[in-house]
This record gives sequence, C-alpha cells and structure tokens, in this order.
Amino acid sequence: MSQQRTRREFLSQVGVAVAGVAIGGVAAPGCAAEPDEAGKPNRKAADNSSPRVAIARDDALARGRVGEHRELLRKLLDAAVQKVTKQADAVGGWRSMFRPTDHVGIKVNTLGLSTQPAVVDAIVAGLLSAGLAAENVIIWDRFDTELAAAGFKLNKSARGVQCRGTDAERYGSGYQRDIEISGEIGSCFSKIVAEEVTALICVPVLKDHNLAGASLGMKNFYGAIHNPNKYHDRNCDPYVADVVSHRFIGPKWRLTVCDATRAQYNAGPARHPGFAWPFGGLIVGSDVVATDAVAADLLDGERKRRGLKSLEDDKRPAKHITTAGARGLGVADLKKIERIDV
Amino acid sequence: MDNLDNIFSQPTRRDLMRFGLACGAVCALGRAGRAITQDTPGKRQMAGPKLEGVARHAAMHWEKQPENRIKCVLCPRECEVADVERGYCGVRENHGGEYQTLVYGALCSANMDPIEKKPLFHYLPGTPAFSIATAGCNIECKFCQNWQISQFRPEQVESTLVTPERLVSVCKSRDCPTIAYTYSEPVIFYEYMHDTAALARQRGVGSVMISNGYIQEKPLRELCRQLTGVKIDLKAFTEKFYQEQCAGKLKPVLATLEWLKDIGIWFELVILIIPTLNDSPNEIKEMSAWVVKHLGPDVPMHFTRFHPTYRLKNLPRTPVSTLERCRKIAMDAGVHYVYAGNVPMHEGENTYCHRCRSELIRRVGFRVASNAVKDGKCSKCGAKIPGVWSQGQVIPG
Repeated sequence: MSQQRTRREFLSQVGVAVAGVAIGGVAAPGCAAEPDEAGKPNRKAADNSSPRVAIARDDALARGRVGEHRELLRKLLDAAVQKVTKQADAVGGWRSMFRPTDHVGIKVNTLGLSTQPAVVDAIVAGLLSAGLAAENVIIWDRFDTELAAAGFKLNKSARGVQCRGTDAERYGSGYQRDIEISGEIGSCFSKIVAEEVTALICVPVLKDHNLAGASLGMKNFYGAIHNPNKYHDRNCDPYVADVVSHRFIGPKWRLTVCDATRAQYNAGPARHPGFAWPFGGLIVGSDVVATDAVAADLLDGERKRRGLKSLEDDKRPAKHITTAGARGLGVADLKKIERIDV
Repeated sequence: MDNLDNIFSQPTRRDLMRFGLACGAVCALGRAGRAITQDTPGKRQMAGPKLEGVARHAAMHWEKQPENRIKCVLCPRECEVADVERGYCGVRENHGGEYQTLVYGALCSANMDPIEKKPLFHYLPGTPAFSIATAGCNIECKFCQNWQISQFRPEQVESTLVTPERLVSVCKSRDCPTIAYTYSEPVIFYEYMHDTAALARQRGVGSVMISNGYIQEKPLRELCRQLTGVKIDLKAFTEKFYQEQCAGKLKPVLATLEWLKDIGIWFELVILIIPTLNDSPNEIKEMSAWVVKHLGPDVPMHFTRFHPTYRLKNLPRTPVSTLERCRKIAMDAGVHYVYAGNVPMHEGENTYCHRCRSELIRRVGFRVASNAVKDGKCSKCGAKIPGVWSQGQVIPG
C-alpha cells in the first residue's frame, strides 16, 4: 500500500476530520453510538439518522409531590436514555455518553419555576450506574441561595455529589477573569463549566419565557455567564446560540433532560400557579437543539390548546432554536427529529 | 466602619502622583493592568464590612404591567422585566411585581479625585471630588475602561454599604466641595445618587454626574434639581457606532444633551476618539456643528485618547495628531473650549480665553498649575468664561 498521498487526498481527509470534530463536538445526531472498549463515547460512528428525542410521561407524575415518585422518575429516565442512545439497556445508554473518568456538571435551573431535585437524583443514579464516582458529579447553577431555595442540598465537601453555585465564590471569583468572545457575546464563564467539568447535562424546566419565548436547555446556559442581563434583546437571539457555541459548552454537552414534571405555559420564567401545566414527564435527548425544538413545540401546542397566542404571534418566537439549528449545533427542523414516546 | 475618612486623610503614593508634578507619567494599575486615564477608579479598595448579597431599595421610574411584569422607564431601553428577572443594567430587579434597585449605597469604588479627572475643566478647577460608583451599566461599550465594575452584577463586585448621610457628612466635615457619581454608570444607581445629591445640596456640597447620557427626560429633570454639574460621554456621532460598539443608540443621548441645555445645568462633553471607528474628520465636523447649533459654542468638548482594553484590544492607542486634528475641527466649527484628553502636558489640556486666546488655566496632568480666571472672567480681557467657578453659583447661600 502506498504511503504517499496526493495533495487532494490529504486535503480531503483533513476536511473530513475537521468536519467530524465540528459535528462530534456538539453531540450531533446519532453521535451517542457504541462506546469503544475504554467506555468513551465513540463519536466516529455517528450515522446520518434523525436525532431522537424521547418524551417520557406518566400520569402519576402529575399527581402529588414530584419527590414522591423517585422510582418512577428513575424508570422513565432510564427508558428514555436507552431509547435515545439506541442501546440494549439503560446502563449501556449511560455508558455510551459518559466515561467513568468524566467530571459531569449537571446544570439545573433555579430561577423562577425550578428543576425538581428528584429529577436530578434520577440523573445522578444513571451516572453512578455508568461507573462514575459521586465526587465527579456536580449539580450547579448561579447562586447557592437559589439552589437551596429550590430544594437542593448544598455540598461543598470533598465527598459525595457536589452541589454549589458559581456565585458561591465571593464577589464574582467563581467566574473566569478574562472575557471570552463568542459571536456577539463577551462574557466571563463560570469556572465550573470552564475548568472543572468534562461533560454537561442540562436540566431545564419546560416553561414559558417572556422574552426568549421558551426557557429550555440552551437558554439555561445563560446561567453559565456573568452577564446574562446583557443578552435579552431581540428575543435573546443570536446570543443563546453564541453561548452554546462556545468551547466551554457545546463540545461538553452530552444530554438534555428537560424537567416537565411541572411545566408552565405562560408568564414565565417566574413561577405563576395560574399557568401551571401538569405535564408529568421528561423530555430527553442528546441533540441540544432537537430537544429544545421538541419542547418548544409542546409548549406552543399547549398555549394554542388553552386559547393563547402562539409564541410567534405573541412576538416572542424562540428564534434562538432556529439560529442554533442553522449554525449546525443540532437539528431544529421538527420534521427531521424522531419523537419517541416512552 | 468603612474607610471613607481614610480616603480623605491618607493619600497614597498613587494619590500624590496624581496630584503632583509626576502626573504625566502613565502608570499601570488594577488587575487588568489598565493605564491611568480619565475617570478610572484608583487601586485602593473600600475597607470596612463587605456587603453580602445586594442592597435592595425601592426603585424609581417604572410602571406596572400585567402578570407581575414591569416596564422600566429610567433609561431609553425601557426594559420589560418579568418577575424574578433583572433589567439590562443587571442592578434593577423585579421582585414580585415591584421593581427594586440592588445597589442602593453599595459602593464598589470610592476615591478622592481631582475634578479634572472626570474630566470637568470648567467646574471648580483644582478642587477634589469625592468619586463613587456601584456595579452596573445600561450600555456595553466594547472599549469600557471600567468594565470590571460596569459590566458585572452587584453580587460579583466587592462593595461596602455607605448611606447618603454618611457620605455627605464625611464630605462636609472634610470640606470636599463635590461628590462625583462616576466610573461605572450613575444612571443605574439613580435612587442613591438622587437621594445623596439632595442631601448634599442641603448641606452645601455639590454633585456632578459623569454619565453616558442614557436616561429619559422625566428622571433627568428630577435629578438635575439636585445636581450641580454633568459630564456626558458622547461616544460618537453615528447610530452605527452606538449600535455596534455600545449596544445603544445615539438619538437618546442627543436628546439628553438638549434637555440639559434646556435645564440650564453646567455640562461638558467627552468624546473618546478610537482609531478607525469614530475619528473621521467628517464625523467630527458634523458632531461639532451639531453641538454649536443645538447646545451653543460654550459647551466644552474634550477629545480624549483611547487605550486598548476590554473587548477592543485590536486597535492602537489614538495618535496625538488625531486628537489635535479633532480639536482643530471643533474649534473651526465655532466651539469655544476644546480640549485634548489623556495626553498629559499637551497644550490642548489648558484653557484659553475664547476672546483674547490668553492662557487661563494651565494643567499638568490632573493638577492645576495656574488659574487666571477671576470671578468667572478672563483676567486679561474680562470676557465672561462659561462654567462653575464658585460653589455659590450652583448652591446659593
């Protein structure tokens, strides 16, 4: 076999490699394929199939307190992960996305209607089943105070699953010192996402947002920058995609678990009981854009069902999802997304 | 206890350098290695108990909206803010349908500065101004020299709580004639500035706002009843620049300038000249013509030198020759008092009588070396020199 390549062959191979890195970096459709022997997600085996988004619902989840349904949540999540990753079982699904050596950041949303701790418990159980040490998992958001108010138990000790806010560090020292430029944004990123973790799980809440239209997985990462207040003009677009595009976020994103146990179809992101929506489920996907697209579609559907204007007609379309899709961060076209009911 | 008294009584070596003949030297300071330029806070931190969390206080100038939303009408952005969210400035928060400021008295910077550092050249020259700031700003200039306080939220900046009473009493006891609300953007700590300025006026202390001019008419007119002087940064004279470099708009700033003229308060303009972005002769010519037509020839214009910083590190410092060109264009357009800033020892930092052209005030860095303005007039030809030359002009009695 000849060891010499033509210039055209060389450039062609380099081009493919670069494209592969770009696609694999942001959990492209089908990227959660067979793990290699070291347990590392084998992103090279990405196929061209549609990204899968699992909608795992159970009427029981909508009743009582979410914390009363821990077993059910675990079963629903595991089933969703198995379906999304196309693995033989749930453990295989978790292992296809996370290596035992990963440091996983679970980004919850504790502003207004908050992520349920029981949902995060189910995620942690899944990670532990994949062989991760509890100490390598950190549950985080902006503030200690908001985490505690949402029912999370702070843990800053060296043992067990970590739980803390970026702003727990005094006077902004939880953020990097230097500004990172990504598209139109210029922000200091949380050290948790920039320096501590190798993989991210995003756990937003299925809820309306008065400016972005919907506050879902990608928007949730406004909680990773020091100045989200600067980026709410123009329906948060293209700023959300700018944040997600950044090397600290996109390449580390492995999974979205949208908490829809208690959703809200209007007047978000603050909790507003008058617009509560007992969805009773989880929306799970490894394509960051596709998962948000499906969740936004469900939200819009519920608004229409209740006689409210669509987000588009209410002049707050979730444009950031379309922008993220156009940038190749994932699939925004609903026709190209495979929805799976669990 | 805070260390306000110490800030008055114990000048640092840096203070001495600022005030002294060595002012022309450019020194590095701050964790970002910023150069000393006009109106950057000094290195010394506020001492005393640090504020944990935020300093909540009822906000002024906002309107209730459905579903617990509010509309802020303090600045031209008119942020619509949902419950639990904050406005663009990051320091005003909707708390259950009530709008609150989070920085009432939360000072992150406090320094004794020469008034020339603001810069205000026609306002009690050679006097000190007790200069304070909180975190936050309502625009985002990519060239902000104070971004480490202006572009952060209150929780992210070390601050000390200082009441208006405390601040004014310290200034009064030390015979400091002026409080300067500065460094970040004082419009966003409007309530504290308003209350402090009102109290200061009662006690014979003046208040100057060093601002980007991004404010609505009603709050501006209310505020100016308490202020004694204003400096406005006119960032450029094109909407394109404001949109692309500042996340703002030019038109509201021009409106502010016309309101200030109508109100009759003393104000000066600063234009930071950035190579290739706002330094074209045509733009300066149009700007100067607008100033003469709408504000009159007596409003001083300061063309100051840009230093690479924050998100604009790819451009060089402004050549002195560019500042000189801008200065000439403005003078040719009829502006009486035009200065070159951030260029210590340059003749453009001195004040010359608009009628006889004799030198009135010689400045060395931020220090006034000589002052030939007598009772507000040129000591040579007797021409009335526009400005505030005694405290009695702005605070009668």
